[in-house]
Amino acid sequence: MPIISIEHLKYKYPGTDRLVLDDISLSIEKGEFIGIIGKNGAGKSTLSQAIIGLVPQFYNGAYGGSVLVDGLRAESVPVGEMCEHVGLVFQNPFNQLSGARDTVYGEVAFGLQNLGVEREEMKNRIERVLKQLDIWQYRDRNPFDLSGGQMQRVAIAGILVMQPDVMILDEPTSQLDPQGTEEVFRVVDALTKTGITIIMIEQKLEKMADYCDRLVLMHEGKVVDFDTPERIFSREDLEKLGVQPPAFTRICRSLGWKQPDGTYPATLSATLRVFDEHKSDINWKEKLKSYQRSGHQQPDAQGSGTTPIANDAFQNLFRVRDLRFSYSKEAEIFDGLNLGLDDRATAIIGQNGAGKTTLVRLLKGLLKPVSGEIYFREQDISGKTVAMLASDIGYVFQNPDDQIFKYHVLDEVMFGPLNIGMDLSRARENAEKALELMGLRGKEEENPYDLEMSERKMVAIASVLAMDTDVIILDEPNIAQDYEGKKRIGTMIHELSKNGKLVIAILHDMDFVAEYFERVIVMAHGSILADGNADEVFCQDEVLEEAKLQKPYITQLYERLMIQ
Amino acid sequence: MKSISLYVDRGSWLNRLHPYTKLLYILTAIGIPLIGGKLWLFPFLIGCSLCLLISAKTLRQTLPLIGFSFTVIIVIFLIQGLFNHQNQQLLFSVGFLRFYKEGILYATRIGCNILNMLLSFAVFILTTSPQELVDELEKSGFSPKFGYIINSVFQILPQMMATKDTIMDAQRSRGLETEGNLMVRMKAFLPLISPVVMSALTNTRERSIALEVRGFGRKQKKTWLSDRPKHKEDRVIRVILIVLILATVVWRILSCR
Ligand SMILES: Nc1ncnc2c1ncn2[C@@H]1O[C@H](COP(=O)(O)OP(=O)(O)O)[C@@H](O)[C@H]1O
Ligand SMILES: [Mg+2]
Repeated sequence: MPIISIEHLKYKYPGTDRLVLDDISLSIEKGEFIGIIGKNGAGKSTLSQAIIGLVPQFYNGAYGGSVLVDGLRAESVPVGEMCEHVGLVFQNPFNQLSGARDTVYGEVAFGLQNLGVEREEMKNRIERVLKQLDIWQYRDRNPFDLSGGQMQRVAIAGILVMQPDVMILDEPTSQLDPQGTEEVFRVVDALTKTGITIIMIEQKLEKMADYCDRLVLMHEGKVVDFDTPERIFSREDLEKLGVQPPAFTRICRSLGWKQPDGTYPATLSATLRVFDEHKSDINWKEKLKSYQRSGHQQPDAQGSGTTPIANDAFQNLFRVRDLRFSYSKEAEIFDGLNLGLDDRATAIIGQNGAGKTTLVRLLKGLLKPVSGEIYFREQDISGKTVAMLASDIGYVFQNPDDQIFKYHVLDEVMFGPLNIGMDLSRARENAEKALELMGLRGKEEENPYDLEMSERKMVAIASVLAMDTDVIILDEPNIAQDYEGKKRIGTMIHELSKNGKLVIAILHDMDFVAEYFERVIVMAHGSILADGNADEVFCQDEVLEEAKLQKPYITQLYERLMIQ
Repeated sequence: MKSISLYVDRGSWLNRLHPYTKLLYILTAIGIPLIGGKLWLFPFLIGCSLCLLISAKTLRQTLPLIGFSFTVIIVIFLIQGLFNHQNQQLLFSVGFLRFYKEGILYATRIGCNILNMLLSFAVFILTTSPQELVDELEKSGFSPKFGYIINSVFQILPQMMATKDTIMDAQRSRGLETEGNLMVRMKAFLPLISPVVMSALTNTRERSIALEVRGFGRKQKKTWLSDRPKHKEDRVIRVILIVLILATVVWRILSCR
């Protein structure tokens, strides 16, 4: 008997008239690892919340069909009961902490206390789970003091101790840095071996291909397909459904390398296996090279061909000289940093704590150097206030909710332009152009708070673009974006760069960096380890190791193939 | 993360006392002078609270509180000493300011009351972990929801304060002037405060889902990770406090005859 069986499930959120779940039928067997993929808004989160009964119990709305978990009807069994059978972990680790316990140990106990589990049993379970997730050493720390990845593991632990039969993870890594992501995936790895049924929603499809027995492909509230990763990723219409197949599948498809069953491989190991059979094809190197080149659509618009690394070959917009900075006396972040920034689109990569955000905040004047100078257009910026720099340097913060305050998208986007003294008609024109570029046309009159996170992020970007500054700084623009969103942001970067603007972005997505940026700066513990174009930077193994960064998947594959 | 709670665990014997015992102390400290009605009771109780604070090694944190209350008390002295409507007997004068006995006496009583309450509350607040208080309230039958609200305020408010700085930076980056005269500041108020409130609201919604999936809404008897170790002191102290209150009542009744 399947552990989850969904039949003809239909659902509308209250006050809307669109079916967010449109006649969904699925059955999932015990012990399976199931992935749900699809573009933003496809209904993945809603489906996962329907399995535990939050839909419809928490949200209300119109509901039809049935969801049975362990033979219990999710529609009517209270969520408080259902949570013994199904656990749910979602994106934001901070919001999943109960906020009522001041140690990790107490936090993990919270759910067990509510279930009325006996004390000895409670202690045994907590110890086991904390050790399993490798957070036993933090048991006495305040959970709010932990890093994102650690916090997310605490959240997973808090669910896992309740020993559900099914565990749902809704984009658990989308707000984490690469290290935090890695930590969480390690935990998920360990979970696969425990035989618990897992349902995971995730945009990082290379990982999904590794883990999942089967994938549910969703689009506009419908289940389009439910099959093995290889078959799903080999679908020709995948991109049309807003999903980009993993890098390996894309490469194999362009090379025409199929597996015996007619599908394209989705993982590195499967790709290497297929490679063995196609080694005889003498042209593969050429094909791969040409694929790689077309993938790296570097906007060498001027046709200069090679990109020199020497900074003085370019007109410097920013010049940083002997910069020193520290937040507190004990730890100096920068001790004598030198850097020039010209108009090439520049990605700054590195682990959290490497100093990336601190650097861009200094450039923006939000922080003042302890010593050293920062020149913008050969003028020292130390004498200028942030608001004075606002018309030259735009800065999009990581969390859009830190800035949104108007009730209409258009007003929000016009706020910046009006502040820096643009007249109304020009502000409006710029705002509309920016909204168009970020794919928000037709949403001008909506309330930003009714939009989804990924769209709010686009609003925040548009609100800075509309100020028409010469420099645009983006702090992790890709968070919560799906394939289309990323592509849109990539296009935006191209567009700005083409118009002679300097784009500086902090990023964790290496494939994206390789594809869209002309210059890559690698940072670790407050210094610059490497600086150059993507090809130059991503071949420096020691540097990447020191900065704890991974190569883009395409580069990984390329190198593996070359060795063989 | 910073906590807004004033509580610090110094491992003193007051930290180990049951929160209810300390609540009873507040009751006693406020009740005795009220029932006894004599002014000299105040210095006695204020002294008591001060001794407790010293023994709990928390006098340092109390100083700002005392300092603040003194400014209030001085104002009361000035107003009452000069202008109380019952003022008749001139006590002393400073220049053209004339202070009267009735007003000063009245002010003394209010001042002592303020100081006494403040210090006895300080004994409680500075030595009791909010978490422990809430747990104990819950164990004795208060609704978990009530406990949760109190408790999460201590945990989540500091986080809100932290996002405030980021929000300020984000808006300044969009050319918002946040410094300057009153008009400028007024105009900056909405862009700064709305994101704080709105993100707090979204967070609350998400958090209530998170609580739900961890069985928070269940109507079931909860279990606890640990029982409070029972301290002999608790009982002894409670008995002493109750005896003190009763003794004051008896004394008052006797002295009225
Ligand atoms: N609380 C809600 N109220 C109204 N509509 C919602 C709510 N949550 C999500 N939606 C809408 O439901 C659709 C599906 O959303 P969601 O399940 O979050 O998709 P996904 O997780 O695949 O991105 C979207 O169009 C979204 O706007
Ligand atoms: Mg979702």
